[in-house]
Amino acid sequence: MKRTMPFKNCIHLVVVGLALSLSAGVAVADVVAVVSAKNPVTAPLSNNQVVDIFLGKTGRFPDGSQAVPVDQAEGSAAREEFYLKFTGKSPAQLKAHWSKIIFTGRGKPPREVANGIEVKKLLAKDPNAIGYIERGLVDSSVKVMLAQ
Amino acid sequence: MSFKLTPIALLVMALYAVGVRADDADTPMYSFSGYGTLGVVHSSENKADFTSNASKPNGAGYSRSWSADVDSLIAGQVIANLTPQLTAVVQVISEQNYDNTYRPHVEWANIKYQLTPDISARVGRIVLPVFLVSDFRKVGYANPWVRTPVEVYGLLPITNSDGLDASYRVRIGEFTNTVQGLYGQSDPTFPSGIGTLKAKDMWGIAYTGEAGAATAHITYLKTNVSIDSFKPLFDGFRQFGAEGIALADKYDLSKVHLSFISLGAMYDPGGWFVMSEWCAIDSKAVTVKRHAWYASGGYRIGNFTPYLTYARVKADINPADPGLTVSALPPFLAGTAIALNAGLSNVLRSVPVQNTVSIGGRWDFMKNADIKLQFDHTRIDTGTIGSLINIQPDYQTGGKVNVFSATIDFVF
Repeated sequence: MKRTMPFKNCIHLVVVGLALSLSAGVAVADVVAVVSAKNPVTAPLSNNQVVDIFLGKTGRFPDGSQAVPVDQAEGSAAREEFYLKFTGKSPAQLKAHWSKIIFTGRGKPPREVANGIEVKKLLAKDPNAIGYIERGLVDSSVKVMLAQ
Repeated sequence: MSFKLTPIALLVMALYAVGVRADDADTPMYSFSGYGTLGVVHSSENKADFTSNASKPNGAGYSRSWSADVDSLIAGQVIANLTPQLTAVVQVISEQNYDNTYRPHVEWANIKYQLTPDISARVGRIVLPVFLVSDFRKVGYANPWVRTPVEVYGLLPITNSDGLDASYRVRIGEFTNTVQGLYGQSDPTFPSGIGTLKAKDMWGIAYTGEAGAATAHITYLKTNVSIDSFKPLFDGFRQFGAEGIALADKYDLSKVHLSFISLGAMYDPGGWFVMSEWCAIDSKAVTVKRHAWYASGGYRIGNFTPYLTYARVKADINPADPGLTVSALPPFLAGTAIALNAGLSNVLRSVPVQNTVSIGGRWDFMKNADIKLQFDHTRIDTGTIGSLINIQPDYQTGGKVNVFSATIDFVF
């Protein structure tokens, strides 16, 4: 095995490495949907099941228990990433979606908390709640229900 | 029992809302929100007016070259969370009314009781869930187009019901099914001598099915409608023997029983959308009987959404029906018969039969607001005036109309 690396390849590696670290810096953290560890819901949820809870189309988990969605702050990277990845909707499309529901008195958007840490605090208090957090924040207090 | 919504009932609702405190500390007692549209419309037909719905007295074309009345409106809504189960909603809109004022009117006001997350009942003024986007047709920001296609959404001029409804939602696998039943009445007022329309004993059932990005909607509605202003005309025909009675039986729309059915479907996975609706009114009076459909699609490129729509409304009617045979009548009756025939002709030619191709674009230029531009090319069938109003004497029936619209929609 040749252990020396030609100079040209070195440059290539540096460039690739730089590009990778740059893109990692720009890309938003991986976001997963979570419930409290105390929530009896066991099976991971499907994409549609999670989306329907967050878009107000259902108020229940598949086992019939109540599901209360929690959003992170408007404009936060986690929120934009979550909705774009799981619903395919941009912030403007979500605004239009909730306008439809608000102006018919049929419901209201999920309650909002500041960030992933606050989501975990709320989940600890309310076993019916479902939120989304950066994968790095996952610990024993939560169960991951959906990740992609 | 009458479900008519009176100012007193509204006041009682408001007082009740003030008197009761929400016991859920996390939910604010009141929430206020609103929406609006600022728009201008130009029409190529200057011998008649183009407008967005039957309750408007004028629009673009004859009355004004550029009209801001067609689409502009502003609305405010208060939701009061009385208890975790009980909410009250009042929505007030200011838009061009039948009498050409912008006096605000109550679009809906109802109290909702949420028995479980899936079962709810409402009492008060409720939107008629007849079309796919009925619930939010006036919220420009929530819709892809400048306005809902006039051919389809103009088919049923009743949009609200004062009464009650109940809704049940059931989830089967990944399908969310919602069934809504309603009973009520409505009495909207229209311009140009039509006056008040009274819809009584209105009952309906609506089904909405949702699965992922797909939505399907079916509605069936029945009601008894009376428009007193048409009564003298058709009572007049009934004075003219068998021929007059036959004409009145066929065309009389002063008192009709009608049934309405609509089917709609939409698919919106995010990057693009397609939607289509078909609906029909059935009645003994052929002047009321009609059917309409549209198909629309759009493609999202960042914050820009171009779209294309085709809409068609048809009626089984001969707008050139001559009416009473004047030559067979003695001279002292001929004058009355000619006047009645002219009245009938006016009714028949205003049964809309037309199709429109619309092309437009929506630009989400900032948070909570969009700009839309739309071009409509409408072909009106021979012998009719389509959905145009304020017809001038030298207007030629049939023909083509081009309409250009620009709007800014916002929510707050």
